Formats: sequence, structure tokens, C-alpha cells
Amino acid sequence: MRNVGIIGIGYTPVFVSKRKDVNIPEMISEAVDAAFVNTGLTPADIDAIVFGNMHTFEGVNLPHLWAAEHIRSLGKPVMRIATGGTTGMAAFHAGYYNVASGLADVVMVVTYEKHSEGDAQVGLMGIITPELMTMLSAGIDVTGGSGMGAIGGGSAGGISFQASSYLYHSGAGIEHIDAQAALERRNAAKNPYAHLKDPEATAEKIAQTPLVSWPIRFGHICPTTDGATVCILASEERAAKLADKTAWVLSVANCASDATTANLIESQITDPAEHRPAVIASRQAYERAGIVDPKKEIDYVEIYNGFAHQTLMYLEKIGMCEVGEAHKLQEAGELEMSGRCPVNASGGVVSTNAIGTSALNRVTECALQVMGQAGEHQVEKDVHKALAHGWGGMMQYVTITILGDKPKKG
Amino acid sequence: MMEETREVQGTWDLSTLKFRIEGVGLRRMLDGMKEGKLIGTKCHKCGTVYLPGPFNCRKCHIAINEPAEVSDHGEIMTFTIGYADVRGNPLEEPRVAPVVKLDGCDSWIMGVLQGVKPEDVHVGMRVKVQWAENLTGSLQDMAYYVPE
Ligand SMILES: [Zn+2]
Repeated sequence: MRNVGIIGIGYTPVFVSKRKDVNIPEMISEAVDAAFVNTGLTPADIDAIVFGNMHTFEGVNLPHLWAAEHIRSLGKPVMRIATGGTTGMAAFHAGYYNVASGLADVVMVVTYEKHSEGDAQVGLMGIITPELMTMLSAGIDVTGGSGMGAIGGGSAGGISFQASSYLYHSGAGIEHIDAQAALERRNAAKNPYAHLKDPEATAEKIAQTPLVSWPIRFGHICPTTDGATVCILASEERAAKLADKTAWVLSVANCASDATTANLIESQITDPAEHRPAVIASRQAYERAGIVDPKKEIDYVEIYNGFAHQTLMYLEKIGMCEVGEAHKLQEAGELEMSGRCPVNASGGVVSTNAIGTSALNRVTECALQVMGQAGEHQVEKDVHKALAHGWGGMMQYVTITILGDKPKKG
Repeated sequence: MMEETREVQGTWDLSTLKFRIEGVGLRRMLDGMKEGKLIGTKCHKCGTVYLPGPFNCRKCHIAINEPAEVSDHGEIMTFTIGYADVRGNPLEEPRVAPVVKLDGCDSWIMGVLQGVKPEDVHVGMRVKVQWAENLTGSLQDMAYYVPE
């Protein structure tokens, strides 16, 4: 396989709750234009386009074709990817496969979400429609008031079971979730492309937000964001000609397991906090990248954390620390931008969640750190290697991308 | 919201979404519940017991169809305390919702726990099923969990 590098990134000028001034293709083209401006490339330089966003969230089923002119795909190969929360990184992986295989030299990955035009809850319900119909016919009370298999609280319901189990097995407390949310909202204040920014955020302030479903509070939960992200990938040969700086892809991996949500009809046998896919995919990615000890060799991590406990949980799953250690690193200040294990300097998904972009933004934010171009939210230590994590699907699908400042040898 | 949205009529036929699943595992469970019993499905190769039973063993990837009775006592594996209903309206009383591993069963099943203060609930706590007064072969027959 050929070496592949990230040679350009484009974001919409803002990531906010409602972009009423543009429609979907117009918003997407803002990020596409930004990528061209940032790289000096033109549409003629792009061989193929990979497109990603959530299915059904905006009620638009073929956005990559509707927006064909805006993503400059006329007369070119184009493919849409939708894998839930991991969509952005799955699209990135598809772009990587294109270039690594030699099928294309330069690929543009385009992702977006415009939550304000749709309904995330309706979109999420679409994921479990078959199970829900069966449960209804078996007498389930979907309001969650009584009966076996009772569910309640929307997507926060399943997540709360995960957070609760994680706290029990790690020894962390709800105060550590509060502190993590606060840390990332403070980081977000330094990122011009973040949504919820609070330079004064503290654990105490987060702790004052209402409990939705213990141990998850309102302050632990991501917003719904409008925004688009573009990432341009190139082969080693083309990158040398086209870019001054490149963040090199050292490895990619992904893994799924059984659905760990309200999977009543087929029986759930997996602890929602066990998350084997994160363990398996990260170990595979380390092996492919030639990384022996991630604790020493990975300088920076971006975790997909729709909910604040997931930063701590996934740091343990991907082997950046031992089980039960993440909250101790947090207490010691090591997870801050100045720490030894800086994570989510961007503010994470808990601060900004235009879902289709969110897993790609983990990669682009790692790329900015590796290239030293993160500006005000550049971490203090030198970043030679960085890991981007994506989480989604029926809670059980994980994507991993490892970037480096030098191309992989051999 | 009304000034921003417009309604369009349409239908989806959802009736076909359930036929396969209803065939074996869930049907067996619901029929057993009419007699106050919990009948799962056991993998004849690895011995894993599922409630309700799926068509295939998740571990061995082979078709399974051996009935196995499961206890109505078990252990809390994880739990949450709900403060709002599915529409986001605050509940009058917080609702404890555990995920329970019943004795003799390998899969976990959700429900509601009554008869205990939210602050006293913990992982590893022993609970049992409180059956409904009239058993009809519905998931509502397992009314809620109570401490053992
Ligand atoms: Zn088996």
C-alpha cells in the first residue's frame, strides 16, 4: 500500500446551532471552498470524492447528489458513506483506501450535518424501528414506566447504562464527568470552529445542570450543531508537489460488536462499557503503525465523546492508560492542553456535534496538532504521533486513525 | 415551531418488520410468561443462554433452538435513574431502571426497580421479578423488579 497524507482541511466559518442564512449545499460549499483556498488546489486536482453525513437526520436521502455541483463532483467518482456517529471517519477511511490502493492520487472527503433542518431524535428512532415495532407488539411500555425491557430517556438512556457501568468498574465518580465536560468546554473557547464555548467552565458549574438520567447531566451532553468539514488526502508523490505540510496516515482500523443498546429482541450479552471494538481496533491500528507502547509514542488524542464520560472511558480502552487510571490523570492535570496526555484540545464532540463531521473532525484536529497549525488550541508538547477515535453505530462501532509527522517507512 | 415546519402525509408498512423475530425466541418467552416462567434459548454447542432467544448463537454463529428455563432472580449489572420521561417532561418521582442478569441466563434485560431508594441502588445488588397479577403473555407480565 502507498503512503497517504492529509494535505488540506476546510471548515465552515462557524459551527453553531442554526445556520438560517444558507441551505445544505450552500453550507457544504463553504467548507469545500475553504479547503481549496487553504491548499491552493482547484477542482481539477481532485480525482474522487467521498461524502458523509447521517442518514435521515435532515430528511434528505441523496445529499451527495443534490450537492453535486457544490462538492465539484461532476464527471467524477463519488460515493456516500453513512455509519452513524463514525460517518466522518468511515468516509475518511474510504478516501484513504482510494489513495493507498493507487486507484486515485488526490481525494476530497466532504462531510456535513445541518441539524437545524431536521430532527436528530427522529433520525435515531429510525435506527431502531424494527426492534421497536417488535417490542411494541410484545407489550413493551416505551414511556419506560413499567414492564420488562422498559426504556426511557431517548439516546441518553442507553448511554446512562454505559456511564453507570464505567463509573462502577473504573472507580471514577460523577464529579470526574463534570470536570471533563468543563475542561473540554474551556478548550472549545480557544477553537474558532467549536460550538459550545465557556472559558470560565468549572466542574461546579457543570454539576449545577439538571440530571437527565443518572449519572448523565445536561452539562455532559453534546449540542446539535450545523457545520461542514472537508479533508483532502494525497499520495506521497502528489503531497510532495502540492503541500508545504502534510499529516501522514500511519494506520486505520475499525471494529463492530453486537448492538449494546436496547437490544431486547435478540438479547444483549455485552456490557455497554466493555467496548471490545475500541480495544480491538486500537490494538490493530497500533500494530499496523508499528507502535509498541501507545502511552509513550502517542502524543495527542482526539476522542469521540458525545457524552463527557466517554473521554475517560475510551482513553482506557485504547490503552493510553490502565483501567481506572483516566480520572487520576485528569486530577493530576495531565489531560489538559499543557499535560502529558492532552486530549480533545478542540473541545471534543461534547462541545461541537455536527454529527456527519464529528468523527472526521477528530482526524482533522489531530492533523492540525501534528502540523503545528492548531493556533490557540495547539497543545504545549510536540506532537509527532496522534490518535483519532470515532464512536457510533448502535453504540458499538469504533473507528481509529493514527497520524504522524513523517510518512511510514517500508 | 409551526411557522418553520409543514406536514406531509405518508405511510410506511411496518407490519413486516417483526415476523422473523416473533417466530421463536420472543414467542417462546411470551408463552412461558403466561405461566410465570421465563423460557430462554440455549446454545447446544457453547451453553450460552439467551432471553429472549435469538435464531443464532452470538458466539458460535450457528442456529440454536433449545429451550432453557431461567430464574426470575438476578443481579444488577448497571442502572440509571431517570428524571424525565421520553418527551423530556420531569417525572414526579425519579425512576430507577436497572439492567439485570438473571440467574441461569447470560444475556441482560432492562426493567424498572421499585421498593428501594435511588441512593441505595448499586451494581451487584440482588433483585427478583415482581409478576403482574394477571398474566397475559406480554412483556408487561414482568411488572418490575424488587430487592430480593
Ligand atoms: Zn454458542
